[in-house]
Amino acid sequence: MSGFRDGRLAALKAKIAALEAGGRADSESLPFGTPQIDDCFLGGGLALGQWHEFTGAGMEVETAASPAAFAALVAAPLAQRGEAVWVLRRDDLFAPGLAGLGFPAERLIQVCARDEAEALAIAEDALASVGVAAVFAEVEAVDLTAGRRLQLACEKRGSTGFVIRRRPYGGQERKTASGSAAATRWKIAPAASQPGPGEFGLGPPRWRVELERCRGGRTGAWLMEAQTAFTWEAGHGPHPLRLVAELGDRQLASAEPVRLSA
Amino acid sequence: MDKAARAAGLHAGQKATDAMALVPGLVTAEAEPEADAAALTALVDWAVRYSPAVAPDAPDGLFLDIAGVSHLWGGEAELVADFRARLAANGLYFRCAVADTPGAAWALAHHGKGAEIIAPPNGQADLLAYLPPAALRLEPQAAAQMERLGLRLLFQIIGLPRAPLARRFGKQTLIRLDQAMGRADEALTFRRPPHPWFARLAFFEPISALEDLQRVSFDVAAKLCARLEREGHGAKRFVIAFHRVDGKALPLTIGLSLAGRDPVRIAKLLAPKLETIDPDFGIDVVTLEAEAVEPVSGRQVRLDTSTEAAVEDGLAPLVDRLTNRLGEGRVWKAAPVASHVPEQSSRHAAPLKPATGGGWNPEAPRPLRLFRQPEPLENVMALTPDDPPRQFQWRKRVHRVLQAEGPERIGAEWWRADIDTISVSHVRDYYRVEDQEGARFWVFREGLYSAGAEARWWLHGVFG
Repeated sequence: MSGFRDGRLAALKAKIAALEAGGRADSESLPFGTPQIDDCFLGGGLALGQWHEFTGAGMEVETAASPAAFAALVAAPLAQRGEAVWVLRRDDLFAPGLAGLGFPAERLIQVCARDEAEALAIAEDALASVGVAAVFAEVEAVDLTAGRRLQLACEKRGSTGFVIRRRPYGGQERKTASGSAAATRWKIAPAASQPGPGEFGLGPPRWRVELERCRGGRTGAWLMEAQTAFTWEAGHGPHPLRLVAELGDRQLASAEPVRLSA
Repeated sequence: MDKAARAAGLHAGQKATDAMALVPGLVTAEAEPEADAAALTALVDWAVRYSPAVAPDAPDGLFLDIAGVSHLWGGEAELVADFRARLAANGLYFRCAVADTPGAAWALAHHGKGAEIIAPPNGQADLLAYLPPAALRLEPQAAAQMERLGLRLLFQIIGLPRAPLARRFGKQTLIRLDQAMGRADEALTFRRPPHPWFARLAFFEPISALEDLQRVSFDVAAKLCARLEREGHGAKRFVIAFHRVDGKALPLTIGLSLAGRDPVRIAKLLAPKLETIDPDFGIDVVTLEAEAVEPVSGRQVRLDTSTEAAVEDGLAPLVDRLTNRLGEGRVWKAAPVASHVPEQSSRHAAPLKPATGGGWNPEAPRPLRLFRQPEPLENVMALTPDDPPRQFQWRKRVHRVLQAEGPERIGAEWWRADIDTISVSHVRDYYRVEDQEGARFWVFREGLYSAGAEARWWLHGVFG
């Protein structure tokens, strides 16, 4: 009986996976190289040929530096497969900074759009082009229609989209749509760095990474570090991101009794 | 006719036998008018370096319209000096004159005293007064008639009543006189280098529908591209002009990142811009001109098909689409510049240029976002004047610094400026600081410490 049930379950899972992949049999993924993180995804890593959303918190909603840095590091292994396109609304991305983190800035085409709709249109155009492996788009919000369009563009050539949510300076917060067509949604906040033993100053940059939403997978929260940033090894390691610690899973944490304190 | 020849008694127009009698050892050569004309044409093409409007004056002269260009050489005298020096270096000795009108310049160059005459503005009348009537480029019989009547100098003619002058010497004389004095315009036939990359389509009936415009833009592109393909060239810029029935031409320009000659691609890039064309009563001619034409090798099968093919099929069209939609300067690739000054260490390069060697030093941490203008920090607290800040206020928020790294002192690049302008006030001490939430900033203190003056702090960028 149990064998039959497992078989049914596996068949159903395969069916769902096929639906999720949008009919593409060869849905590739980009593993982080850490089982704790990779197990959260359906395909054993960040799904390629889809788009992912990165948000910041607090001050970061306007500068979006941490989400951008994290997204660039996640996408760094992809840059070997083709060019990357970064769609900006504000020309303040500093290529030496990207190169220092370990992203090959010489493979990055930067495009400065004039408004939100144009930025999304450019991202869509770039995603559907041959020779583009990753597209970063700094936009304020992606509604369901735009998200669906991005997804279709991703599926055309199997390139991956990285949407970095960023509010224009001084702008009012726009009401964001509740639903999203993104494959995953990440919330990135900077975290205090830890210099190595016997070293002074700042250690490698660290982030509190929350996987808030993951289609077909589980969510999670981790403390991650770009261990080779600002060294000559930057951009030459297996994966630029390293898991430092697992942060409490929010779902599990909320199930525990909450101790109220004054 | 150089000085030695003149001293021997030779002059232009002399019979060859007379010349041989004067100088027994004279070496003669056949006159070659065609070769002379070709040499003159080559000279005209060369003289375009001085002025875009150059007209040949057969058999042995040039007209240069230098209105509005002489300041590029520092003045008319400097331009003439440069012109003569370059010609002399090639063994060509010219008589030059600068005047308000082509007629006056011709007269001074051919009959003036001195090999280099520059007439002041509106001063040609005085200079022309003592020249012979032949200086007016008259017809031979008119010149001979004047000679016979004893009119040997121009001031005698200038003062004569106009009507009898015209009756006696012909209307042409009067026109030439007016042209020299600036009372009548003279049309020179300026030589234009032939623009070979040009195609034109004319229609029996004027067209105005958008679909028709799209079709003809493809047709004219196909026509030009067939020629480009035949001659092994490609172009980076195409200018299409729709000529309306009322005589107005409406141009549109598209650019390609790699020189190309694919009519489908050109028509595709033109298509979204065609909506801006107002056909009015219709368009009867369309022309397409290719600019920035360069040799392009034909289609070639590459061995490493994976990367090169991607550029040709995917990236170049994408970059072209974006550049044509957004405008120049909005699509770029960052390229390293050898400069310590952070905001100058990266520049915008063409998006499809292959990456050059070198790069940025990864061990010098640079922020992910660099502000174009550093933002001032308020209420900065530091233990000692050259310590990193312990606390600062930026955008109305207080940040407590828990960890800091630095300073990295970046001074002005003194080797780029004059020695007098060097000062220590352009020194910045950069610190990488991390606040209580872990956010990392790049802050700097301006100038060196000086007692009494309060240090000024700025935030130049944020690390991710």
